[in-house]
Amino acid sequence: MRKVLSLLAVLVCFVVEVSAQSKPISGRIVDKTGQPIPNATIAIKGTAKATVANSEGNFTLNAKPGDQLNISAITYKTFTIKVGDQSSLSITLETAERLMDEVIVTAGGLKARRKEVGTASTVIKGDVLTVGKSTNVANALQGKVAGLMVSGTGGGVSSNFRVILRGQRSLTGNNQALVVLDNVIVPSSVLSSLNPEDIENINTLQGSGAAALYGSQASNGALIITTKKGKKGETSITASNTVMVESVGFFPKIQKKFGAGGTAYGLDANGKPSANYIENQAYGAAFDGVKRALGAPLEDKSQDSAYYSYNDGHLKFWEKGITNQTDLSLATGDEKSTFYLSGQYAKVTGTTPGDKYNRAVLRLNGSRKVGNKVTVTYSSSYTQNRYDITSSTGSMYSNMLNMPSNVDITKYKNWRTDKFANPNGYYNPWYQNPYFTADNYRSVSRNDYLTANIELKYTPIPGLDLTARQGLSTNNNSGKNTVGAFIYTEYAKHTDQSSKSDISASVSDGSGYTTNLLTDLLAQYNKKVSDFSINLTTGVQFNQNQSKFVGVSANGLVIPNLFTVGNGVGTPGAVESNFKARQVGVYGDLRIGYKDFIFLHGTSRNDWVSILNPENRSFFYPSVDVSFIASEVFDIIKNSPINYLKLRGGWSKVGQVNLGTSSDFGAYYLLPTFNPTNGFPFGSLAGYTVGNGLVSNNLTPEFTKGIEFGFDLNAYQDRITTSVTYFDTKTDNQTVNTTISNTTGFTTLLTNTGQTQTKGIEVTANVVALRSKDWEVSVGGNYSYEHNVVNFISADLPKLFLSGSGTGSSFAMGGKVFPVIMGYDYERDKQGHVIVDRTTGLPTKTSEIVVLGNATPRHRLGLNAGVSFKNFHFSVLFEHRGDYKIFNSMGPEMDWSGQGYRTAVYNRESFIYPNSVYEDANKPGTYITNTSVAIANGNGNNGFWTDGINRDVTSNYVTSGSFWKLREVSLSYSVPASILGKTKVIKDATISVQGRNLFLIMAKDNLYTDPEYSVAGNDNNGVGITGLNSAPPSRFYGATISLKF
Amino acid sequence: MRKIIAGISVAVVVLGTSCKKYLDINTNPNQATSATPELILPQALVNTASAINGYNTYGSQIAGYSANAGGYGGFGEAITYAFTSTGTGLWGTTYDNLEDYQTIIDKTEGIVAYNYFNAVAKIMKAYDFQLLVDAFNDVPYEEALLGVKKLTPAYTDGKTIYKSLTDELDKAIATINQTATGVTPLGSSDVLFAGNVTKWKQFANTIKLRLLIRGRGKVSFSNSIFSTDGFITSDALIDPVYVRDNGKQNPAWNTWAYGYTGSAANKAWMPTTFMFGFYDGHTLSDDGRGAAIYYQYPATGTNRLGYENYDVVSSPTGSFWYSGTDRDGKSNGNHVGILKGPDAGLPAMLAAESYFLQAEAVVRGILTGDGAALFNNGITASFKYLYTLPDGTVSGNPTDDAAAYRTKNASSALVNYALATTDDKKIEAIITQKYIALNFIHGHEAWNEYRRTHYPSIMTPGNAYTTFASVVSESTRPDKLPTRILYPTSESSYNSANMPKGITPFSSLIFWAL
Repeated sequence: MRKVLSLLAVLVCFVVEVSAQSKPISGRIVDKTGQPIPNATIAIKGTAKATVANSEGNFTLNAKPGDQLNISAITYKTFTIKVGDQSSLSITLETAERLMDEVIVTAGGLKARRKEVGTASTVIKGDVLTVGKSTNVANALQGKVAGLMVSGTGGGVSSNFRVILRGQRSLTGNNQALVVLDNVIVPSSVLSSLNPEDIENINTLQGSGAAALYGSQASNGALIITTKKGKKGETSITASNTVMVESVGFFPKIQKKFGAGGTAYGLDANGKPSANYIENQAYGAAFDGVKRALGAPLEDKSQDSAYYSYNDGHLKFWEKGITNQTDLSLATGDEKSTFYLSGQYAKVTGTTPGDKYNRAVLRLNGSRKVGNKVTVTYSSSYTQNRYDITSSTGSMYSNMLNMPSNVDITKYKNWRTDKFANPNGYYNPWYQNPYFTADNYRSVSRNDYLTANIELKYTPIPGLDLTARQGLSTNNNSGKNTVGAFIYTEYAKHTDQSSKSDISASVSDGSGYTTNLLTDLLAQYNKKVSDFSINLTTGVQFNQNQSKFVGVSANGLVIPNLFTVGNGVGTPGAVESNFKARQVGVYGDLRIGYKDFIFLHGTSRNDWVSILNPENRSFFYPSVDVSFIASEVFDIIKNSPINYLKLRGGWSKVGQVNLGTSSDFGAYYLLPTFNPTNGFPFGSLAGYTVGNGLVSNNLTPEFTKGIEFGFDLNAYQDRITTSVTYFDTKTDNQTVNTTISNTTGFTTLLTNTGQTQTKGIEVTANVVALRSKDWEVSVGGNYSYEHNVVNFISADLPKLFLSGSGTGSSFAMGGKVFPVIMGYDYERDKQGHVIVDRTTGLPTKTSEIVVLGNATPRHRLGLNAGVSFKNFHFSVLFEHRGDYKIFNSMGPEMDWSGQGYRTAVYNRESFIYPNSVYEDANKPGTYITNTSVAIANGNGNNGFWTDGINRDVTSNYVTSGSFWKLREVSLSYSVPASILGKTKVIKDATISVQGRNLFLIMAKDNLYTDPEYSVAGNDNNGVGITGLNSAPPSRFYGATISLKF
Repeated sequence: MRKIIAGISVAVVVLGTSCKKYLDINTNPNQATSATPELILPQALVNTASAINGYNTYGSQIAGYSANAGGYGGFGEAITYAFTSTGTGLWGTTYDNLEDYQTIIDKTEGIVAYNYFNAVAKIMKAYDFQLLVDAFNDVPYEEALLGVKKLTPAYTDGKTIYKSLTDELDKAIATINQTATGVTPLGSSDVLFAGNVTKWKQFANTIKLRLLIRGRGKVSFSNSIFSTDGFITSDALIDPVYVRDNGKQNPAWNTWAYGYTGSAANKAWMPTTFMFGFYDGHTLSDDGRGAAIYYQYPATGTNRLGYENYDVVSSPTGSFWYSGTDRDGKSNGNHVGILKGPDAGLPAMLAAESYFLQAEAVVRGILTGDGAALFNNGITASFKYLYTLPDGTVSGNPTDDAAAYRTKNASSALVNYALATTDDKKIEAIITQKYIALNFIHGHEAWNEYRRTHYPSIMTPGNAYTTFASVVSESTRPDKLPTRILYPTSESSYNSANMPKGITPFSSLIFWAL
């Protein structure tokens, strides 16, 4: 922050007084045909002085010679003129390019005007992307595009994202959107490593139809990212600095009434459980504020103590993280070449104590014309990511939850020097000090990306382009995980119920790379024949993916803090894996336009892949779409406020071989494997066990077929823009990797079966509500409705396990929404009341798992608004997701520890299970509303709340996943030129303050965490389960200063 | 334009021919995609040893060998018996192991050269399936292990499986006996009997005897005659030459004593007072085996299952079941008793069990012979196993100590077979002695025999010396014990249509149980 202030001071020094020798100037504004343009704004650049022309296009204004007049009017290009000696001006404005004529990049790097495209796509400009100053592009896309769902699957400095377009199609394969960076397909992880400031725009191709040309990876839609280029005759240097603060935005709701102890320590005179000085479970007496001993006396006879009352140490455990980000860029260009150079350095500390991350990104983009017929384009970026984080977030979190709230957690930070925080003297004999956990279990890693692309375009005759393109994206990573040694004193090991055991030091080290090479050779031919325009592209594409990983590990390190594999005892662990997969695609793309109002477009592609048997490796798929510009045809529309109406529709089929992961590319899945396990080899005795994976004989590609149609309607000279799309896709013959009964002899099966279907509606609307000299107010939103179902899987496999944690699992199940949360519930009567035992009052857990809710939001809404007043700009973005459930696997741990809010709702007393019934003793099968039979032991630590009958019942922790988030809010101020003055050193200066996720409103029953989280990680379709392995959700706020030279 | 089209055509043709070569790169460089029976068998046997270690843990906890130790809480269903997930991991482990044996059978069926491998795999398949039936009753059998051919195997009645297993054991013996010419010896692949096929036949007979005794009166076996090879007379130990190294230790040592780095293993469990009573004079006096087995005997810490109060002592690093006093964890472990050391073999079956099975068979009229001699041989074999060091040498004199034991407890019908005057008393003596012999070695077998015979006798309510039932048992049965564990959740998830319903831990019985 200090940096921001000092820069501000510098800016203020640039204020220069403007002398006033003004004289009145009059003028008239007309279009090319000489017709007057009404209501144009005439402003003197760098001042607040401005006027508006009348309906005849006439205006008068006081100005002095040398002033620059900016004349702007809706649908016309802004025009600048310098005031000379004249007292009247005649100004002709050129018609601005309309939105519909804007050229966008579509699949395969082909360019088309918006009006020509028959499928849904959304372009997000770079400045919209960076308004919240996220370091992560995925983060920056949240809530901005209809049909696009970006979920942060974990917290912390190395958070991951799951990027899904139009719901999930593949049951167990990859569902994430294809990421294309400057025409090169890159792994989706690159998204997290890009510098958002480098991005010119991102075109989201929502459906498989739009992306069909990208080949078999396109069925999930695509994000086409175009990075910045230099511009002809314009040189600019920008520098900016952002400081963001990260703090925990939501902490699991805990009870604040009871502290350490439990019934196992005996009952007091009133029959209430006692407090205890070593217990981790907060099932003791109600807080009374009395100072009590904490933990057993240490060897030196000293003893820790704490007031037996609530304190908010649980909240304060999480720290304030700081992100400091510096950006620099240079863009320039001349007649023959363009050049763009940028660098970014971000240094991040997280909310988890000790977690650090830094990132440096360099980018070099450019182009050069060679002669008249050849253009060379290149772009390259290098990103280095460095992480230093704890490898045990989950156990750190659970250790922390197992500290009752009479214990001030933050007191235990200095475990190396403070004897009560040191593991030897730490009061709890069973759970480690969470600060120690965070410090002792570390992961230090590097993860570097190089992406580069060169393109040679040769135009032998006008209308024909021959393009050769070579892309490279490589990821190089290494990491070391360490566990420090800790030798307890004999005293600590054997005091009071201690189960403290020495920790032996260990290390594991690994490194690997993945490299993707993508070669495109294509020919494009454009021709106009009378009223017809023809655009034909054919090409061939070679794609090779390769990866390698080598990992070694050692335990029992002899010299405690020497973390190297040679320092271990016994045989070191070692793993190695190598993967290579290739694909060849041949494609064609034809677009025919008639009179610039109807466009017919078709694509076809055939792929050959290395990862399937030769007889299945070739597959073909086509797509067609049509775009009809009704507003160019019908007079009734021409004469209405509607300035643009496009009707569009398309059909597509896309094949995909959905095998494997982003690091093995599906290679080598076809044959069963045999592995040495269980210590083999023993000396010279080798042994191999049959692998647990089954593969059906004839794996084939899965196909996604779909239709989409919709319209784009703009009115009042694009002041209102809307877009509506309906889509319906089916994915058949899925490549499914599923868990099967062990009794088959195997645990997983890879086979083709099943069908999923997704239909939905996407709506986008933006309105410029007010536009005047000083003001512009716009509001907009996007809404997606998705109905994502599994039509069937197979007769043998009615449901498929996707992921799970504790008793909750995410399943794909025939006839249900995809995916569903399954787990145990209580036995219920037909009306849904919980059936309890008529003597004990205890409910019964169902014997089998049941469906407990759908795990993907059906409704998603993004709402944005922007207000500009003079040099101030304010923008805000909300996102809502609704109508879905999540299972919070941290719930059972919270109830175990006694911190869970649920555990205290009955004050730890005997209670009647709410909305319960019991069976009528005389009439079996009929149930009586329970108003009298209470559960006797309403405490934990040997009572209802810690028993399996509470903690093992999944439905107790299944809650609504609905939320509203204030995704982004930003207020920026562009310092006027009049203040920047004549120095001409600084052309533009902007300061802004911004926040992200400033508030999170969740469903009332969600006591736990951000429903975006997924314990299954970003690569697994089994969403809907959150856990302890993520830091709590954060809010970010900070300021940016940006200068342009 | 024409030139360009021609150029593209040429490119396509070239592409077509080189395409196959470009794409034929799908050979797995990381993992084997085939393996011979010689390579699968040793791994399968070692996997069985690991499985047995898991079964012992489950059985020891329920059948009264081990109780919760001090310093730990949250034992939940392990002490209440309200099972939901206890022991269900055994299911997957055993079927995984069975797949190894099934693969050997499939690869060798009808191939004379592989007759021994085929027979051994069948014997071990029977061994594994008995483990499953005894823990879960009805399990997939005929439709199991068929891979993709049957993804949701039907369950077969436990009785039917028992009958089939005895038939398979007969077949295995016949296969071994078929010929010796041109048959590949088991060689170093046999980490159980070192290639001795006679011992394999004895092992098959002993497993069959166990099936016949347990299924007696419930199963109509097709053949109750045994081959002339007899029964095992020495401990059947699985040993691939275990060693103190990463993943290569004796599984029981690794679970309960020390990790290979010297780190502490599981300290959450300790001996039960009930079991300790068979050594320290409360029930019987047996200082010989007591001192061989327990650390700090007779001052060993013990507990009754379910008693969680804060006066329960915690388990020492290395556990109470390792009796050695050298406890640094890095160089120790050359001792007699149960946890002998990281390099001891793991018993698939004790000679003692074989003798006690034969003794019972004599009582039941399945075999003829000298019941008292077999009973006494069983006791001596138990002493001998417990007095054996990891390298197989015997320390001390088990025969003399067994005799001394008989003398010291001469007034007890549990030791002095002559005092067991009725068949029922004889069975009680045999099963109780088997219970003592299997202490923390094969807890599951002790648990099976308890459920079949209700021996050793316990009192309800009793005290820590007279019952091993948990203090916090939720069982509704008179003995306050459960009857079985449940099917794993994986079956309810992936094979729910076939999985038997309505199974409870207090009312559903294994078919041979009382």
